[in-house]
Amino acid sequence: MVLTVYGFALTAGTRRVTLVCKELNIPYGFVVVNLAAGEHKTPAYLEKQPFGQVPAIDDDGFKLYESRAIGRYLSAKAGSPLLPNFDPKKLAEFEVAASIEYSNFDPYASKIAFERFVKPLRGLVTDEAVVAQTLASLTAKLEVYEVILGKQKYLAGDEITLADLFHLPYGSILVQVGADVFSTPNLKRWWNDISSRPSWQAVKDSA
Amino acid sequence: MVLTIYGFAPTAGTRRITLICKELNIPYEFVVVDLAAGEHKTPAYLEKQPFGQVPAIDDGGFKLYESRAIGRYLAAKAGSPLLPNSDPKKLAEFEVAASIEYSNFDPFASKIAYEKVFKPVQGLATDEAVVAECLAALTAKLEIYEVILGKQKYLAGDKITLADFFHLPYGSILVQVGFDVFSTPNLKRWWNDISSRPSWQAVKDSA
Repeated sequence: MVLTVYGFALTAGTRRVTLVCKELNIPYGFVVVNLAAGEHKTPAYLEKQPFGQVPAIDDDGFKLYESRAIGRYLSAKAGSPLLPNFDPKKLAEFEVAASIEYSNFDPYASKIAFERFVKPLRGLVTDEAVVAQTLASLTAKLEVYEVILGKQKYLAGDEITLADLFHLPYGSILVQVGADVFSTPNLKRWWNDISSRPSWQAVKDSA
Repeated sequence: MVLTIYGFAPTAGTRRITLICKELNIPYEFVVVDLAAGEHKTPAYLEKQPFGQVPAIDDGGFKLYESRAIGRYLAAKAGSPLLPNSDPKKLAEFEVAASIEYSNFDPFASKIAYEKVFKPVQGLATDEAVVAECLAALTAKLEIYEVILGKQKYLAGDKITLADFFHLPYGSILVQVGFDVFSTPNLKRWWNDISSRPSWQAVKDSA
């Protein structure tokens, strides 16, 4: 029985999951949740994801949501080193990197994506003051990424993990909307590496 | 060799891990990082935590930071069911709950705590508009918690996990500053349960 992914391809969370499926060669059926039509707030969808957010999965009857939880589940199931759970210290270092992504990257990157990418799609006006302030905060955090990536190849160590891949959806939107945030040497090396992976190329513009 | 925690007791991240140490009966040595004196930005501290944040730990030479990563590491090391890694589906459901905490609770709760507690301590003025906006957003999210907690005892299922504990520091601040956010029946039951645990009582006012 195949994995079903419920989502909307342009959203970060959905692409985080389809990206991991491509990395792990997991076949999936993609069911579009029509956000514009408010499908994510219907009782039928709320059964899958009570917060009314995308994505959600159904893996042969086992239902999950929250893209980073789904990513961990699929990697563990595949026995993939993207989730290095074979060694307690490597796993701990992975969890540090995964925590860095949602503490120090996601809050700022998602806000910029909302202002510069989502709002125009809805006919709303970008608040450039918010963008500037948020970009300044993100840039300061990425200066620390530059230090970390000067000592090791990827965020959790010298092997790529989910923590690196989790940055791809919002990171790509930042680049797309003209925020050249991965410009210093180590960041540039790391970003080029992860963004050129075939798995990301396969899902970045579609599901 | 005893675990060393570098932190500042009134901060959420620090209390998140001293709480877990108490819960797991892990002895630790607490080293104060003097935030007011800017100690977290010194080169010596940045070696432990490159983002200049608290807490950080040193476990017999193994260094980690990010409180939720530290919590997972300590629980796994202790073989504790607070991190239910013996069963892939239970682990996945835990990761959903842990992701809910940082996606749907922490962004709003931490902002309210910053405006109502940490700004005044630094002599800065609270932005009540931000507080009101965050409280409205948080209340909407907690309505979903009420639904989830009507079907199961804790956020990941019928056993308590780290995901429940992670809510204690900011949840307590919300209550302290007068926001009765855990007032509906299931939230109230859950909050009274987790906040009355001896481990939280032991660290809530100190390290």
